[in-house]
Amino acid sequence: MSRPADDEAARVGGAVAGVVERVFATVAAVREAALRPLAREGFATGAPVLADDVPDLLLERGQLAVGLGLVVAPRPERRLPLRLEWWQLDQGDSRLRTLEPDLRPTSMGYYDYTSSAWFEVPRRTGRRHVVGPYVDVHGTGRYLLTLTEPVEVDGEFVGVVGADVPVRRFETHLLHGLGRPPAPFLLLNDEDRVVLSTDPRRLVGELLPPGTPASGAVEVPGTPWRLLVAEGADAAR
Amino acid sequence: MQLLSGDARRAVFAPLDDGALRSEAVVRRVGSAIALGLLGDGEQLPTETDLATMLNVSTMTLREALAELRKLGLVATRRGRGGGSFVQARDDVLAELAEERLSELGTTDLRELGDIHGAVASAAARLAASRASRTEIARLRDIVDRLARSGSVTEQRRAEGRYYIELAACAQSVRLTMQEMDLHLELGQLPWPPAHAPELLDTIVAGHRAVVDAIDARDPARARALTEQHIETRTLWSIELLLGSMEAGGAFGGREVS
Repeated sequence: MSRPADDEAARVGGAVAGVVERVFATVAAVREAALRPLAREGFATGAPVLADDVPDLLLERGQLAVGLGLVVAPRPERRLPLRLEWWQLDQGDSRLRTLEPDLRPTSMGYYDYTSSAWFEVPRRTGRRHVVGPYVDVHGTGRYLLTLTEPVEVDGEFVGVVGADVPVRRFETHLLHGLGRPPAPFLLLNDEDRVVLSTDPRRLVGELLPPGTPASGAVEVPGTPWRLLVAEGADAAR
Repeated sequence: MQLLSGDARRAVFAPLDDGALRSEAVVRRVGSAIALGLLGDGEQLPTETDLATMLNVSTMTLREALAELRKLGLVATRRGRGGGSFVQARDDVLAELAEERLSELGTTDLRELGDIHGAVASAAARLAASRASRTEIARLRDIVDRLARSGSVTEQRRAEGRYYIELAACAQSVRLTMQEMDLHLELGQLPWPPAHAPELLDTIVAGHRAVVDAIDARDPARARALTEQHIETRTLWSIELLLGSMEAGGAFGGREVS
């Protein structure tokens, strides 16, 4: 017989995986747009890759992402510099804006994206990744989860496509979607950072203190995350 | 036009609420943005109308400020097609501007600035000690190493600004990060201590390294205390500099104390 905590882990984990897959479906649509025969030429020439209709994905009903686009791998040898094709919706605004961060290394506000995990991990592993929660300092300035996957042309890494989901939006959406109040649980990322918590003693963004018992944490499929549901959760309610 | 993006650059053109002397406030804001590299040499400023709207000043005030910036040599205006106002990064002018700004302030202004920076940065350091990942700690170290290697005043200022902003980001706090950006736009208007006494750079670097070590050792209380102490020292330096320049300028001798 399964324990109540296991059932709860399956329910919450399923919901988390579902939300993440939904956002990755948007990322996949961006990727497809980037690889259209005419679009992909832009990787070699420096011309814009994504068509004008791509940011409309942000306006779709039920869209969780508030930013999406393509971040191109710089190729100094071909004189192709750092470059983003990224759109976002500002808070309380339904107008799409392009994100144009400061890409000059001589600036205090330099957005050095090639060293950020959302770019570097997919480049290194060839696989999709979820980064956050983190402060997107020098970029959008928001508190985000960023979901990215690598783009390859003829077997060569040319950049990442991705989407930004504000941490608050992710939390609200997930908790509302779960319906009945879930048992206290912790969602942890690959750095043992709290992504989501229904235990008020554990705050989003904290690192789980070393030595905290986390046995029984289960992996959330399709994410670099683990879910930890409190034992005896049902009895506590 | 890239001027509005990136949080630090957004802060450059955020509305001014300094009250009086607004054209001088515009000059100071633009000056520190140049000092921090947020406005690059040769970069075009937005149009007068756009700038006035962003900064929430009248076109008249903005024109006065631009005239002053031209006079200082920090902005050059070209007419006609492809014309506009362009940034000229001049370290000598920026240093003069910083001295002038210092002389306008009182010791309590400097103490106030140190108090708020100390509060924000030490809170960030405390939180970072329990929230910064290994990668983030490595990045902080990297920034401090770069600061130690920086040859020019402008490079040092930028590396230092990045250190404090990154520290706040390591605290996982958008609000502390924004506060640091605003504070650096203000601190960037004042003289950079090692510009007068190059050996102070070693003290600054050692101070930041000790904080990163405390964060690495997951010691929040120590990270906080060290940050507080360092910023208190910095406040002391700027007050000493102010008092020193007053004596040199004879401000105590003549008209004020009779």
